Amino acid sequence: MSGTSGEAGSQTAEVKAPAKVKPRRSATQAAVTWRRFRRNKSALIGLTIVSAFLLLGVFGPFFAAYPPRSTASLFLGQAHEPPSWAHPFGTEPTGVDVFSDSIWATRNDLYVGIVATLIATALGVAIGAVAGYARPSISTAVLGVIQVFFVIPVLLLILLFARLFLLEVVAGWGLTLIVLILGLFGWSGIAFVVRGEIFRVKELEFVQAEKALGASNFRILFRHIVPNILTPIIVLATLGVAGNIITEVVISFLGFGDPNTATWGLLIDDGFRYVNTYWWVSFFPGLMCVILVLGFNLLGDGLSDALNPRLRE
Amino acid sequence: MAGLVSYVIRRLLFMIPIMLGVTALVFFVTAAAGNPIAIIRAGLLHPNNATIQYLINYYHLNQPVELRYVYYVWNLMHLNLGVSLQTHVPVAQSIGRWTWTTFYLQMSALALALGIGIPIGVYSAKHQYSKADYSITTAAIFGFSMPTFWLGIMLILLFSAYLKVLPYGGASGGALGLWWGGPIQDAIAHLILPMITLAYVEMATFVRLIRGNMLEVMRQDYVLAAQASGLSDFKVTYKHALKNAITPIITLVGLSIASSLGGAPALETVFSWPGLGYYFTQAALSLDITVVEGLTVVITVMVLAANVLLDLLYGVVDPRVRVT
Repeated sequence: MSGTSGEAGSQTAEVKAPAKVKPRRSATQAAVTWRRFRRNKSALIGLTIVSAFLLLGVFGPFFAAYPPRSTASLFLGQAHEPPSWAHPFGTEPTGVDVFSDSIWATRNDLYVGIVATLIATALGVAIGAVAGYARPSISTAVLGVIQVFFVIPVLLLILLFARLFLLEVVAGWGLTLIVLILGLFGWSGIAFVVRGEIFRVKELEFVQAEKALGASNFRILFRHIVPNILTPIIVLATLGVAGNIITEVVISFLGFGDPNTATWGLLIDDGFRYVNTYWWVSFFPGLMCVILVLGFNLLGDGLSDALNPRLRE
Repeated sequence: MAGLVSYVIRRLLFMIPIMLGVTALVFFVTAAAGNPIAIIRAGLLHPNNATIQYLINYYHLNQPVELRYVYYVWNLMHLNLGVSLQTHVPVAQSIGRWTWTTFYLQMSALALALGIGIPIGVYSAKHQYSKADYSITTAAIFGFSMPTFWLGIMLILLFSAYLKVLPYGGASGGALGLWWGGPIQDAIAHLILPMITLAYVEMATFVRLIRGNMLEVMRQDYVLAAQASGLSDFKVTYKHALKNAITPIITLVGLSIASSLGGAPALETVFSWPGLGYYFTQAALSLDITVVEGLTVVITVMVLAANVLLDLLYGVVDPRVRVT
């Protein structure tokens, strides 16, 4: 919300010294949101889950007993073992320790989910802004492009592109390739919403005032309009992380991901081959995925309520 | 009526640039991703020089890429989708069967999800903050957060591997023998697990949306007026309130059509369901480019057509919406 408060601060700046006003305003804005967010129990659960997984993703690998995709247990004679203290999530027939691979996968899947969403959001805001603010000839063309990306079966193209380009990338960059593909295909929803919101905001008085003062289109758009439509963008981005994580799990489950990078989808795929005999291999990674995605969804719902001015008491 | 016809025609015309865009995207990216001969060779089990020479001529691989695209679109306009590099069966021949398998799975799941999801959502909204409401919303957000295929694996684990009461996958028993002693019973036995999996995840979204909309609509004055005029509770809820809460469902169904016509590749793979998603996955993994391109084209056409139909349906359900 720093954008909103900064914008509010600069508006008051013409009356008062900005240094005094700014921090107090921003504290109030954040505090109001936090107070409303805090009262929402499920939102707090979501925040807790997401923070826990972020910690696990950042620090967990330092404590993981085995490197990713390590078959060490095989040589210890501990392959295909059910969950135990030594292997909390059990081991695969190939000797992969499901617990430590799940931790590495947490880091990788969070990386994919968050960075892909950042790319998609940046693209969506930029393209949606053009579609909502440019002159009619351009905005109609851009709207056409948005609609194309909205209706085409994106998942199929993502799978195809992952398969084609994974042949080309250097080892170790497979995950980053997936991030780029997800980002490049995932922006249309945000662009649609941003376009609609800009239509709503651009007729408001403060935009007219800026225009009268002679501000450039770029300045009006990104300094004044975008900060005012941050709420839906933040909410969509939070839910987008959840969606991108699920898509990544699907990609690596189907075998379109990098087979040498630990991801939940890869573990579920390993387990699915032994669905009759070794249930734990696909159960635990999938469960972790469900909980994390649940966390992002609850967080998104909570933010949507807390940031919604219409629900303010 | 004339307005309607011209609307449909305009929408159909709008499909042409979209189709050109999608085919160009798939075609040029496939071409740019590597030497097409190498890709085709990777798709062949036993390539020999004569076959490769034949393919080079057949796909005009010795021509520049722009010209190849023109040939490709020309073939498409003659409904020639090419021949699978793996099975040597014309793509157009197989697609009809795959589409039907995907279609009846998706439609039965959608019907189940709507049939159960809408009443549950209404009930949840009418008993807001009750224990039932909390359980329903919790179950819904879990379904919303679940990778569909993983739920499928868990159900296979439980019902096929552990309890052994339902088949692992496929759309029919085939050579392995029929389930429940008859072809129709067999088809139903195979349909149950994938249908329930898909329906649960779809239902979660419907329940959340219906609940939210009902809560909003129930507060409006016209509902109060309907109650005050002495209508039965059932009539107020289902006839008056639900009518206005249900329109966004159409949008949602429209959005999910893109993904469901793609056949939910992971779900179909888990259940070895012989539909569009399953064959797309197989073709993409083995780089059977003609099948991939053919499926992308056909699925996109179906998605676009379904969107036109839904827009028309909007006009039927919500009289405020006029298609012109």
